[in-house]
Amino acid sequence: MASPATSPDIVSSTIYLEGIPHSQFSEIMAHPGLLWHPYQDGGFWVVSRHADTKTVSKQPKLFSSAVGHTNLWDLEADALEARRSIIDTDAPDHTRLRRLVSKAFTPRNINLWENVTREIACELLDDFQHAGGGDWVGRVAAPLPIRVILSVLGVPVSDADYLVELSNYLVEGTTDQPSLAADTFGNTTDLRLLPFGSPASHALFEYGEQLGAKRKSDPKDDVVTQLVMAEEDGNRLSAAEYRNLFHVLVFAGNETTRTAIAHGAMAFSEFPDQWKRLESDGKICAPAIEELLRWATPVLHMRRTATDDTELSGTPIARGDKVVMWYPAANRDPAVYDHPFDFDVSRETNPHFSFGGGGPHFCLGAFLARMEIRILLEEMLNRKLALRQVGAAERVASNFIHGILSVEMEVM
Amino acid sequence: MRLCVDADLCIGVGQCELLEPEIFRVDDDTGTSTVISAPILPNQRAEALVDQCPSGAIQIDPDVNPTPATPPDTD
Repeated sequence: MASPATSPDIVSSTIYLEGIPHSQFSEIMAHPGLLWHPYQDGGFWVVSRHADTKTVSKQPKLFSSAVGHTNLWDLEADALEARRSIIDTDAPDHTRLRRLVSKAFTPRNINLWENVTREIACELLDDFQHAGGGDWVGRVAAPLPIRVILSVLGVPVSDADYLVELSNYLVEGTTDQPSLAADTFGNTTDLRLLPFGSPASHALFEYGEQLGAKRKSDPKDDVVTQLVMAEEDGNRLSAAEYRNLFHVLVFAGNETTRTAIAHGAMAFSEFPDQWKRLESDGKICAPAIEELLRWATPVLHMRRTATDDTELSGTPIARGDKVVMWYPAANRDPAVYDHPFDFDVSRETNPHFSFGGGGPHFCLGAFLARMEIRILLEEMLNRKLALRQVGAAERVASNFIHGILSVEMEVM
Repeated sequence: MRLCVDADLCIGVGQCELLEPEIFRVDDDTGTSTVISAPILPNQRAEALVDQCPSGAIQIDPDVNPTPATPPDTD
């Protein structure tokens, strides 16, 4: 077989310091079929189109999450087992794990957290407004989601700062320049065996285990109690599964929504007419929230591995090939979106993949994230809080999380 | 069109309950979707629901629809 056409570089982390490489993605998408991206000793197929992303996401038997890993690189067998979370599993393990936590995150049950969320949002926005602005990430975008997810999980809110600190170190684990020594936080585990290869994962595991032990002896009406009770019930949740699930819930529950809120503020600053539009409407409707999510695309990619020979957009895929879905590309696919590079809060058709492309790995926290964003925007409208970005945002050098470390905003 | 829930596939997302609350409800004990009234919808709404169910659990009922859509390949 002739070697396939090669993709431009979309994995070097430093590229992302300037933002998403949209011109590379446009070039990839314009090519008929799929391009091959060299990576380490091998490579992967770049899935960029909306339709292909959906095809891969909705066929979990053919495109496995459990084989290899869901990140670009493969893990050795022992590391994969130690690090395996709900993200890196297929049915039936995935179905079992998901059902243990899903009920807390249904739209109906998420609505129960609306008042708590509003209280937190009001406090943060009042402080921000009184200060006349500041770092939007540190003062609003980071604390809001972490405090909400900790409330849902049943983690004392007094520990929020510590968990944000751990989460920041985990994101750093997806960049080229992790700063922590292997033995930080008293870690003695081989870094290969820890999520993100970070000693902060050891600290988060330890925190989750201690909290779980407390809830076993003193049960409360929260997610951690539900999980440790399931563990006690028999073999439904192993100790390793509990650790990894707690880790995912804390990380995914704060990092992704934080990123969405950071990009949301930046978008409204860049497109002030869109904020004025919300102000004149006087309310936040679903299209504005969906457009913010599309624009932000907090998670940049997920990988699957083909379990059989198949094809995508006419390109043959061999069993064992890595197939990587790049959500920022699908979220701006001109076959689906008119004027994909416009931020338009009234966009009617918006089947974005910021929660994944459908299929069983659809984001567990999707309805929680939407609720948090809606309440934040509602309270900004209530306060007539228009923002203007001052200077450039400090971005995370990561090809996995579209993260913003800090961005200065002034109150208009 | 008549719909049904494959309880083995359902992961309890709640998209069906959000879109069609008169028909579907996620049971808080089992964590899976249950049918609470006749699951019959106009074709377009039925197909949208099938498309938006992440796990592929919501399906066109094969027993009463002579030419059902191919269910997505999920497990």
